[in-house]
Amino acid sequence: MTILAILQVLVLILIVAGSVLAVWLKDLLASVIALGASSLLLALQFYLLQAPDVAIAEAGVGAALTTAIFVLAIRKTRRKEEE
Amino acid sequence: MSVVVRTIARILIPVILVFGGYVILHGHLTPGGGFQGGAVAASAVALLLVAVGAPAVKKLKAPFSVLEDLGGVAFVVLGFLGIGFTFFANSLAGMGGLFGAPVPSGPNPGVLNTAGTVPLMNWAVGLKVLGGLGAVLVLFGLFGGDDDR
Amino acid sequence: MRYWTVLAAFAVVAGCLLLGGAGMRPFGAPRLDAMDQYFNARSQAEVAANNVVTAIVFDYRGYDTLGEATVLFVAVVGVALILRRVKR
Repeated sequence: MTILAILQVLVLILIVAGSVLAVWLKDLLASVIALGASSLLLALQFYLLQAPDVAIAEAGVGAALTTAIFVLAIRKTRRKEEE
Repeated sequence: MSVVVRTIARILIPVILVFGGYVILHGHLTPGGGFQGGAVAASAVALLLVAVGAPAVKKLKAPFSVLEDLGGVAFVVLGFLGIGFTFFANSLAGMGGLFGAPVPSGPNPGVLNTAGTVPLMNWAVGLKVLGGLGAVLVLFGLFGGDDDR
Repeated sequence: MRYWTVLAAFAVVAGCLLLGGAGMRPFGAPRLDAMDQYFNARSQAEVAANNVVTAIVFDYRGYDTLGEATVLFVAVVGVALILRRVKR
């Protein structure tokens, strides 16, 4: 098992952890930040798999624009999720 | 938002715009292209919107819409340039004119003046994506009153 | 009762996905690569582009890019229609 494979497995575990955190958190702003971090790690995973085009698109759309749109939507509505 | 966010945004936005322009301009040589560069440049618009609030950038909505339409029209017109052969045929590649320098086979350092209609299409799609995503972001920010909390 | 239904549905879907994953090829070993070899060999001569991905996106598969541009246009038009300011 090379160092690159270990790095890929680590990044995949972090992606799953960020996604679970995004669903689990009650503070919606923190949830959006967790989703953005997960998306950025997904871009890193694309780069490690030698697809830099997809990595740039994922980092631009997934990490930046989606986070910005969610932050704007939270600013217009409530921040805390209700039971 | 706070003054820290505004100061950081004032420093970062030109850097992001220059990087987006680089990704679009070198789309036929390096990884990236029109869509990726346009998305990177639109993230600068998102940062501006989050930093200074939507009412301050209300004026940008109409230019973004016009940019989106112009990019789409330019893309279709560039596709029609090769209509003598087929739709989307690359009629400028290797002809010696604009973007027409020939490329030697195999690994070689990239020359900017190559690839025919591909760089022009990169610019068209890049401006289209920047305009479209920027207009969507400004519309989302302006929805439901002008409050800036 | 409902809990067990959800659990059974989850088990069935996960089992189907794992069964599909078991039949995948080894990582990085595609079998049908005639099209890849064509693009690698000809893109520099036909499109005069060093970046093969951009040559495919904007030249060989230009119709797909046109469809993507149309999708983006329709999305922007939809957002502009829904979020417009209604005069009262």
